[in-house]
Amino acid sequence: MSDIPMTADPGEPPAGTADASMEADLTATPEAAAADVPPELLAQSLGQYLRAWWLRVRSGNSGVLPVVLAIVVVAVSFQVLNPKFLSALNLVNLFEQSAVYMVLAMAEIFALLLGEIDLSVGLVMGFGSVVVAALVQPTGPDWPWWAAIIAALVACSAIGAIQGSLVARLRMPSFIVTLGGLLILEGVAIIVLGGSLVGIGNSRFTNEVVLYNIFWGQFTPAVGWILLAVLVGAAGTGLWLRDARKRRHGLETPPRSLTAMKIVLMTVVGIAVVAICNVNRAHFGTIEGVPYIIPIVLVVLGAWTVLLQRTRFGRYVYAIGGNPEAARRAGVSLPAVRTWGFVLAALTAGIAGVLFASWQVSLTTNIIKTANSYVLLAVAAAVIGGTSLFGGRGKTIHGVLGGLVIGGIYNGLYLLGVSSQWIDVVVAAVLLAAATIDVLSRRGAPR
Amino acid sequence: MTAGPAGTPAETPAGTADATMVADLTAAPEAAAADVPPEILAQSLGQYLRAWWLQVRSGNSGVLPVVLAMVVVAITFEIITPQHAFLRPSNLVYIFGLSTVYMVLAMAETAVLLLGEIDLSVGAVALFGGVITFKLVQQPGLGWPWWAAVLATLACCGLIGALQGTLAARLKIPSFVVSLGGFLLFSGILVVVLGGADGFVNVSSSVSNQAVIYYMVQGLIAPVAGWAALAVVVAAAGTALWLRAAARRRQGLVAPPASLTAIRIALVALVGVAVVLICTVNRGSGLVTVEGVPWVIPIVLVVLGAWTILLQRTRFGRYVYAIGGNPEAARRAGVSVAAIRTWAFALCSATAGLGGILLGSFFFGEYSTNTADPGQLVLYSVAAAVIGGVSLFGGRGKALHGVLGGLLIGGIAYGVSLLNLGTLATPLQYILPGGVLLAAVLVDVLSRRGSGSGSVSRV
Repeated sequence: MSDIPMTADPGEPPAGTADASMEADLTATPEAAAADVPPELLAQSLGQYLRAWWLRVRSGNSGVLPVVLAIVVVAVSFQVLNPKFLSALNLVNLFEQSAVYMVLAMAEIFALLLGEIDLSVGLVMGFGSVVVAALVQPTGPDWPWWAAIIAALVACSAIGAIQGSLVARLRMPSFIVTLGGLLILEGVAIIVLGGSLVGIGNSRFTNEVVLYNIFWGQFTPAVGWILLAVLVGAAGTGLWLRDARKRRHGLETPPRSLTAMKIVLMTVVGIAVVAICNVNRAHFGTIEGVPYIIPIVLVVLGAWTVLLQRTRFGRYVYAIGGNPEAARRAGVSLPAVRTWGFVLAALTAGIAGVLFASWQVSLTTNIIKTANSYVLLAVAAAVIGGTSLFGGRGKTIHGVLGGLVIGGIYNGLYLLGVSSQWIDVVVAAVLLAAATIDVLSRRGAPR
Repeated sequence: MTAGPAGTPAETPAGTADATMVADLTAAPEAAAADVPPEILAQSLGQYLRAWWLQVRSGNSGVLPVVLAMVVVAITFEIITPQHAFLRPSNLVYIFGLSTVYMVLAMAETAVLLLGEIDLSVGAVALFGGVITFKLVQQPGLGWPWWAAVLATLACCGLIGALQGTLAARLKIPSFVVSLGGFLLFSGILVVVLGGADGFVNVSSSVSNQAVIYYMVQGLIAPVAGWAALAVVVAAAGTALWLRAAARRRQGLVAPPASLTAIRIALVALVGVAVVLICTVNRGSGLVTVEGVPWVIPIVLVVLGAWTILLQRTRFGRYVYAIGGNPEAARRAGVSVAAIRTWAFALCSATAGLGGILLGSFFFGEYSTNTADPGQLVLYSVAAAVIGGVSLFGGRGKALHGVLGGLLIGGIAYGVSLLNLGTLATPLQYILPGGVLLAAVLVDVLSRRGSGSGSVSRV
């Protein structure tokens, strides 16, 4: 890689023999290109970059393209069927509903990337929500809200550690361990509930109000804009500086125009979201502003993206998912990484649990059953988003985008007055379709 | 294999070939298991028992653990239930009825587990099948004869299984994802067919066509008829067993010693007599007489017999075990892996449909959305199969294991409900099967590791 001239202007096609052979690589069959260094790493100009990306899409590594198309299709179809679908009120509703699916899908991705599955994330979420709500009860333990959240997250992580150890050390099949685990958890959650209803909707108690506002609260419009400016400014500067530093050190870097495009895209999406959220969506009075839930999802997304894409642990996760035996021979401790994968999945499900408690306000045994059924939505969201069921392929952002599709389908069908059992049928069909696409695209991809 | 056919079975055969055989039996379990299974070479009862013990020690424990577990569970609950009510004839008969759906679903699941796959949709498909049958025999309605409704249900469920099997076998989508989708799909369709969340459908005992379905589980065979049926079944099974062993011995094939065959027949007769005896006790209260063998026992026996013959005595069954043991080896041996897998899923779902009909019959002929939770049904049936001794990794297990495991699960569920646990009763309904499932899988994983067979060296 060191022989590629780094001083070349990114807008110009680079000259020299090494680059000529590189050019030839790009126009070769996708198999040949993908077998070597990924072409997008070698691409220097925006045009080359786009061509390399297109080759990759054609060879089965389509990334977020299908899910973005799916979002567009869902949005257009439901808007045609019911003009209220894209109204500000409904869009904010949709974001809020999807938030739990998104976080749960991000949890599932840790297991899926390892080539395992965690069927218990739904109930871990339900368990976490029950723990949080039970701990802040003024008539009960009366813990402060932050202590309750930490306790719930720790409890969920411990469950993940136990399940992960059974999977990683004893090599019990993960779907069975988590199936048994979810049954036991359901029982434990009912015990924690004490056979009655636990609620956090009492506005006389600060701890309950804080928990309630996690899901239902929002920033004032001005704060929303300021936050957006800070976020886009920070992310844009970070992105730009990283690329600049890589370029300075002579590492492969995407062209400047691409970096600029990424920043612009981020800004446009951000402005659109804040603008939609700042519309007054109340029938009477004023409800406006960005819900807290949006930055919360973004923080989880950012943290897990950094963990998976920028740390050694993340590289090991992908290595194990791609080829466990190769990873083991390379010196990766399979049991440790796998166990941590399940711990992180359960921890993320616990975060979803806090959101879920805040969303549902009062928790009952029936709500726990609902939480359990969310695991299918989480798997479907992750797979629809582009995460492979066979491990080693997928990113945290896929969970967020897939969650948006699932939330959109639920919300749209609900608006059309479709009954819940038919919504289940549609989601099942979507899951099967996503799994089929995953299998077929993987078959198309050179291995 | 040419061991002297003329020698009396009780005698140790002479000759060099047999001498090495004896040496084999006393060798380390690993060495014995690697070659011809010792129980095939064993000629006397003593050798047979020793060979069986070697097999148990090397991890192939068969039905032994589940039978031991049943004994332990029975004794424990008899001691801890109030008034020591667990082993009362009325409770034992009720447990069998309660376990029916688990036994039948576990047999269905066994077929798929043997392939190294899993079907998480059996619970939803079973409920769907039950509802279809009930809908078809509605008198102001479709009014099909009961047998046509049952056949239509089996065909419909078989088709569902074939579709899922095709996705798993031809497209190679992981079977737990396909059947997870199927689970969600049919849980939804089930509610639609029932006519919404409050919908229900029932069969009446006063309409002769519907009464057949109503009495499938609860209906009783008169005590005299029960004894007569037992005599016929034991005589037929005993004669068949004896003649088969005799025929093998005559033709110079490997056969178990005659004493073992006799013990087996005696065991069948003993269990049969015990079951009929328990069922003939009058379990009615006061004025009403309730006695006799419930119809569900012969029905389960027929399903067990059909699955046992299919898996143990047909080419299809051998292929199922071959694929479960090593799919690549089976493929290279010319087995059409995709076709066998698809058929196994189809037969699994058809059996599940039958289980659903029996479930509705058990609940006094009524089906509503609250009859059973499809997710819990599938967990119980996987747990039943694995507890019974079916391996999750394919290639090991029998239909009988599903029946025994189902009985154990049903016994535990009912035993817990007999205890006065108050608020702990509901959570325990979840915690116990979950714990039992994990324990069974743990034993499966460890015993498979101990046996050193198959592809355990998964990284």
